[in-house]
Amino acid sequence: MDMRTYLPRFAAIALAGASLLAVTSAQAKEITVWCWDPNFNVAIMKEAGARYTKSHPDVTFNIVDFAKADVEQKLQTGLSSGTADALPDIVLIEDYGAQKYLQSFPGAFAPLSGTVDYSGFAPYKVELMTLNGQVYGMPFDSGVTGLYYRKDYLEQAGFKPEDMQDLTWDRFIEIGQQVEAKTGKKMMGLDPTDAGLVRIIMQSAGQWYFDKEGNTNITGNAALKAALETVGKIMSANIYKPAAGWSDWVGTFTSGDVATVITGVWITGTVKAQPDQSGKWGVAPIPALSIDGATHASNLGGSSWYVLESSAEKAEAIEFLNAVYAKDVDFYQTILQDRGAVGSLLAARGGAAYGEADAFFGGEKVWQNFSDWLAKVPSVNYGIFTNEADTAVTAQLPALSQGTPVDEVLKAIDAEVSAQVQ
Amino acid sequence: MNNGSARIAGAIVTYGFVGLMAFLSIFPFVWMLLGATNSSIDIIKGKMLPGSALATNISTFFTQVNAPLVFWNSAKIAILATALTLAVSSLAGYGFEMFRSRRRDRIYSALLLTMMIPFAALMIPLFIMMGKVGLINTHLAVVLPSIGSAFVVFYFRQCTKAFPSELRDAAKVDGLKEWQIFLYIYVPVMRSTYAAAFIIVFMTAWNNYLWPLIVLQSNETKTITLVISSLASAYYPDYGVVMVGTILATLPTLAVFFFMQRQFVQGMLGSVK
Repeated sequence: MDMRTYLPRFAAIALAGASLLAVTSAQAKEITVWCWDPNFNVAIMKEAGARYTKSHPDVTFNIVDFAKADVEQKLQTGLSSGTADALPDIVLIEDYGAQKYLQSFPGAFAPLSGTVDYSGFAPYKVELMTLNGQVYGMPFDSGVTGLYYRKDYLEQAGFKPEDMQDLTWDRFIEIGQQVEAKTGKKMMGLDPTDAGLVRIIMQSAGQWYFDKEGNTNITGNAALKAALETVGKIMSANIYKPAAGWSDWVGTFTSGDVATVITGVWITGTVKAQPDQSGKWGVAPIPALSIDGATHASNLGGSSWYVLESSAEKAEAIEFLNAVYAKDVDFYQTILQDRGAVGSLLAARGGAAYGEADAFFGGEKVWQNFSDWLAKVPSVNYGIFTNEADTAVTAQLPALSQGTPVDEVLKAIDAEVSAQVQ
Repeated sequence: MNNGSARIAGAIVTYGFVGLMAFLSIFPFVWMLLGATNSSIDIIKGKMLPGSALATNISTFFTQVNAPLVFWNSAKIAILATALTLAVSSLAGYGFEMFRSRRRDRIYSALLLTMMIPFAALMIPLFIMMGKVGLINTHLAVVLPSIGSAFVVFYFRQCTKAFPSELRDAAKVDGLKEWQIFLYIYVPVMRSTYAAAFIIVFMTAWNNYLWPLIVLQSNETKTITLVISSLASAYYPDYGVVMVGTILATLPTLAVFFFMQRQFVQGMLGSVK
């Protein structure tokens, strides 16, 4: 056998292999979107794309779904490497992380102020994507919070739906003690490794781990202090069922073991997934703190769309987001009905789906209520290090449950966060 | 008597420990199998018995995931990466052991040192390189960085030490060229080494996650590991469907392992000719 007869064959095979592996590049007017969750963000973006393609037949959409952490990893790598063609046209970013990307990669995202009329959106959603007077994203789903409660359990304990409106946290805990005494049910599920409740309470009083300038705001943060005190009281009053992780926490109310759930509106679908509990639930505003600036409205989670400055289809992508997400009220009815998604466009409440009375909640117009609260969520600056601060709070929750004074807990959180931020 | 009871106590401790370890390694696998037959809600509730949702989970998986495409992508990457890695790295291992030179060991140490660099540090430079040559979002970009594997070179060099040099001398006397010795003598004799390396490299390539995640950009190029990651990170993951995906993703590595295991043993017996 001669080597010379082999070589051309090897070369041919290698070439054929390479062309097999190559993927044809994108067509002219294709908008590529990166997001996570096939049943939520991906499905919603497909719906939005389909609506736009109807009026703009030359524009098609390529919605690529990755896990949330994977989208972040890819975005980070793409932006750090400066390889522009490695990035999509539109990317979904979680609200808590928005400032991190906007500040770490100046010029990477296209400002949309001037094109989009932001006065139509919930103010807190606009605030979190604003940097140096420019607004960068298209506000998407909201995590406006509510107090979901079991009417049947509370009635047994002697409370009517009127008694659940506009509570204070102290009153909430009192009710919890009576519910347990009369029904044997705990008031709520609580995962001691999740700082979500602390964040909800803190934002309801208009503060965050960082002030408007982005400086750490922990030891002097009255809302954070009151939030930690409240969680401490819930723990010492023992009105909660402990949960190990998210799935376990969801199990506390799907199984009917607890009387209330306090979290973002996106939980509605999970609550309603138990048909045997239909008619037994009500929704009220969350309890308020008794400090200055306290409100009954807050937020947990949520994300928004951002257009990459380097995108070849930048203008078209902005036009698309503006046409659907900032103007199409009917779109918001569809995604609410099909996916349980509550957007941040305030005008959406005027549509049919938002006006519907929900039999699962005993005929309450829950979407109208959520929409009311959405407009009232206090604006805060999520800053660059929300996740780091959150980790620090979580690490101190066990100390809090063991009765460590709140001021000491705050100092420990502050020390941890300051070390991370520098 | 005393001696006997001590032996029994020893056995209890030994078997207890072995049993515990076996439980720890088998439990996730059993849980995965049970999970595939249950609905997501039952899994969250911690149900530990077989359920009736297997058919639903399977059909949901196949409607949500373009299974033939993602499995083809994974298989293409794993097979190409394995074939190229074995070809390149075994040649290198052979070369390092067979040919003496003054710089050999220094180059070899430098090669081994590259194993110390975590992949996260190489990721961005590698990504920029792939961007420059226009390979982003191609499977070639996933395969190429893996084929010069320092570990596999090291493995082959160590195993080559056991290769009888008389065979090479005899082949030389018979007039074989170096590449013929490698192809006709070394490769067949080292079958067991190739089989073991095949298992290691194939499993690594099949399960590879971070680099494909970074370099693959579209639904058409994604591998099964990326798809499962996406399914599992939904706000409300359907765990039953995730379990079906995980089982399907495990099958090829299991098959390779069981198949190659036999080759492995045969190779071991056949290597002493």
